[in-house]
Amino acid sequence: MTAPKIISASPVRPTEADTELLASVQASALAIRDLYHAAIAAGAGGDHVASLVAIAAHHDAYAQAISSLIGRAAPQARDSKLFTDNKANFGADTTAVALAAHTLENDLVAAHTEVVGSLEGTEGAALVASMIIIEARHVVALAAIAGKSPVSDTDLFLVTPEAATADAQTTTTIA
Amino acid sequence: MNNSHREELHTFSKIVKATQGADFGSAVQSSLSRRRFFIAGGATISFGALLAACGGSTTTDIARIGNAPEKTKLVDAPVTDIALLRTATSLEHNAIFVYEAVVAAGLLSGDAAILAARFLSDHQAHAEATASLTEKLGGKAFNEPNPRLQSIYIEPALRLITGDEAKGIPATDDPVADVLALAYALETIAGSTYQVYVPMLADPALRGAAIGIGEQEARHAAVIGSLLNPGRLVSSFGLSIAAEYQEETDVPAAAYAVPTAFGTKAPVPVTLGAANESGIRTSLNLETPSLNSLVYEYVDGE
Repeated sequence: MTAPKIISASPVRPTEADTELLASVQASALAIRDLYHAAIAAGAGGDHVASLVAIAAHHDAYAQAISSLIGRAAPQARDSKLFTDNKANFGADTTAVALAAHTLENDLVAAHTEVVGSLEGTEGAALVASMIIIEARHVVALAAIAGKSPVSDTDLFLVTPEAATADAQTTTTIA
Repeated sequence: MNNSHREELHTFSKIVKATQGADFGSAVQSSLSRRRFFIAGGATISFGALLAACGGSTTTDIARIGNAPEKTKLVDAPVTDIALLRTATSLEHNAIFVYEAVVAAGLLSGDAAILAARFLSDHQAHAEATASLTEKLGGKAFNEPNPRLQSIYIEPALRLITGDEAKGIPATDDPVADVLALAYALETIAGSTYQVYVPMLADPALRGAAIGIGEQEARHAAVIGSLLNPGRLVSSFGLSIAAEYQEETDVPAAAYAVPTAFGTKAPVPVTLGAANESGIRTSLNLETPSLNSLVYEYVDGE
């Protein structure tokens, strides 16, 4: 067999349109990081506080990775509407925080899946894909932190709600 | 024999004459002049070239210097979207094979069996989706387990769990734990495979479809990780977080609901089977399909 060739005419670096989408992804990541920080500061987490701290660090890492990719086009500021709209759910109650975060992470999975399907540059698509894989895992961890059972509440663990997917397709508050 | 070959032969005979009478036995006090030495060396090279030039390419004679087989035209195997989708379908069938095998062997019961049935159903749906996408692109779906992954990962792993008397492999002492460990590794690799595909797929819409399946595989892995390691759902390894939130160990656990900040392409180690006389169990490293495991368009199913 000859050396396999990968057939793709896609650009590697983000296009102008990609940069706009990735900037929006960064603003969402920073808002969600700050929501976790707010909950932790309020005393949420219980036995799983270290997991909430780690998830917040993941979103911070996403924002940094996007900065590396799009440079000065990165907003370096959170999506303030996303933060404000959700702040009330990120208080001291661990279960309430876990359920609110579960919803947000599902929204991220749906929105970022749409973003991957829209990005032209392969570097941006690869980065967002690597985030989606872990955001999907966040959903599962948060369902467990909320005390849900993967056997009796299976869909909470395994399914991206249709509402999140529909929102992502029509566009929206989260990117 | 053409003119150039005749000239080679003529040159060769002159060189043989020039080296006649040389004392090759006494190297130190050799009567072989420096010039003759180079000429003799040249003779060796020229003679080899001559034989090679005269060698037939289609002969069935016994192999000898100068006879080289005809080159076989190699198969052109581009990594197309169809090849990637066929490989994805094959990987789903690897997972289906594993879940069907452990159910058939009665290795799981209770909640583990319920989850395995759900995962099996999801993989069947994914296999149908990727097969359908393959056909929409004009390709032929590959509705079988990936043969290479089956032979290097799946079959050896299952043998370590169920045992194989003929090969002298004892069954594992804890089949449920081993099945969960294998499923965790397999689901992690399935998610990683779709992630790896994203920049390889030419059509951006297919990238979205691929990662849409990949995130579901990642959820399967996370559920198993949460069952295997309920006390620490999210790993702290590799994160710059305060010491009080770091795990109190230098070695990461075998499984987490969330093992890293980004989905990785790294191999996933899994330890399976009974311990040998030294107390050591077998470790396998599962990896995403590499270029030699892809189901290219020229590969036929059975």
